[in-house]
Amino acid sequence: MSKDSRSNRDKAAALRAARARTARRRRWRLAGVLTIVLAVTVGGAIWYAGQDPTGQRTASSGGAHSGVPSGADGYGVVIGQPDAPTSAVIYEDFQCPVCKAFEDAGAQPIDVGIARGELRVEYRIVSFLDAASANQYSSRAANAAAAVLDTAGVEAFKEFHDTLFANQPAEGTLGPDNGQLIAWAVDSGADAAAVSQLIQDGTFDQWVVDATDAMSKDGVNGTPTIVIDGRKLGAGAGLQRLQETVR
Amino acid sequence: MRTTLERWWGLVARLVVGGVWIAAGQAKLPDPSGSVRAVRAYDLLPEGIVPTVGHTLPILELVVGACLVLGLLTRAMSLVSALLFIAFVVGISAAWARGLQIDCGCFGGGGFDADATSQYPWDIARDLGLLALSVLLVWRPRTPLSLDELLFPVDMESLEGQATPT
Repeated sequence: MSKDSRSNRDKAAALRAARARTARRRRWRLAGVLTIVLAVTVGGAIWYAGQDPTGQRTASSGGAHSGVPSGADGYGVVIGQPDAPTSAVIYEDFQCPVCKAFEDAGAQPIDVGIARGELRVEYRIVSFLDAASANQYSSRAANAAAAVLDTAGVEAFKEFHDTLFANQPAEGTLGPDNGQLIAWAVDSGADAAAVSQLIQDGTFDQWVVDATDAMSKDGVNGTPTIVIDGRKLGAGAGLQRLQETVR
Repeated sequence: MRTTLERWWGLVARLVVGGVWIAAGQAKLPDPSGSVRAVRAYDLLPEGIVPTVGHTLPILELVVGACLVLGLLTRAMSLVSALLFIAFVVGISAAWARGLQIDCGCFGGGGFDADATSQYPWDIARDLGLLALSVLLVWRPRTPLSLDELLFPVDMESLEGQATPT
């Protein structure tokens, strides 16, 4: 009987020890798995933040160029008399279909308003629709517009801007290539030799990225947005306000 | 012991919720700046932490999704999942209540959306459904075909005292 009870006690002790070992092993495994998962999350987030071009230094691909187009006013391109009674800030993406619809109807009143000295427009060209293009048309077109501004001035920019909206590619298709953008830039008054390099190199890509971030920080979440007298308007209301202005 | 059928429903919940997280994280991956802008568009968080949140969310979504699909740390991951869905429901409701018209940015995108107001109820309904599945997994994290079963096998001896006949 005493032999039996001892063997039972031994068994119980062995079982307890085995269970303690299992529990220890579980704890170590849990700690290991937790560490790996946390490291992957933190490491992944740091890597991902590094993929974000926003606010990075201007790419060196532009050579000696600073990467900021001359003639730009911050991230805007200002057209019209400084003392015009109405001023509008217009945020646009060259790949945005609603922007094209807005331009199709709005270019005429805008041009009239500017010519009469009644309207001053600040174009803010941004790019967030590369996903809607098979060849990054949104960002390439924005860079090209900045190149035209840099080399040929505000009037040429406006001409080029109107040409791009008149020839906007459908979403998800191959947009005009850089050769076509250069041809239109020259048609708009830019010097071929001066503008080609800037368009090919994407000299103003970083500036466009930062302009897009600035739009978001301004509380503007889509294009087109037309800001008149501090009020943010969509395409319909913005067009109406502009038409009233020049009536 | 629980019936096997119940455990298989847990597996379905894991795969559905995990699959949605992977799809959502992956959709955001190509556009880190877009992810930051989508967070900013909600106009809820201070600008100082907006980029960090925008850069962390897609990665966290992928990690939570992968762990749920693999059945790794199921209870902890479904808790994180549930908390994220609560945060998203609050965020979308807040945007809706303030009359903002933004795409939820749930699967990439984000920013202005003209149809936002008709979309909000669906986004919220989807997130509430996934929240329910996440809570189910917090409650009953043991499911078949999981790494948890492999790495952290249930100690049958220690369960004996608690097991109730069903």
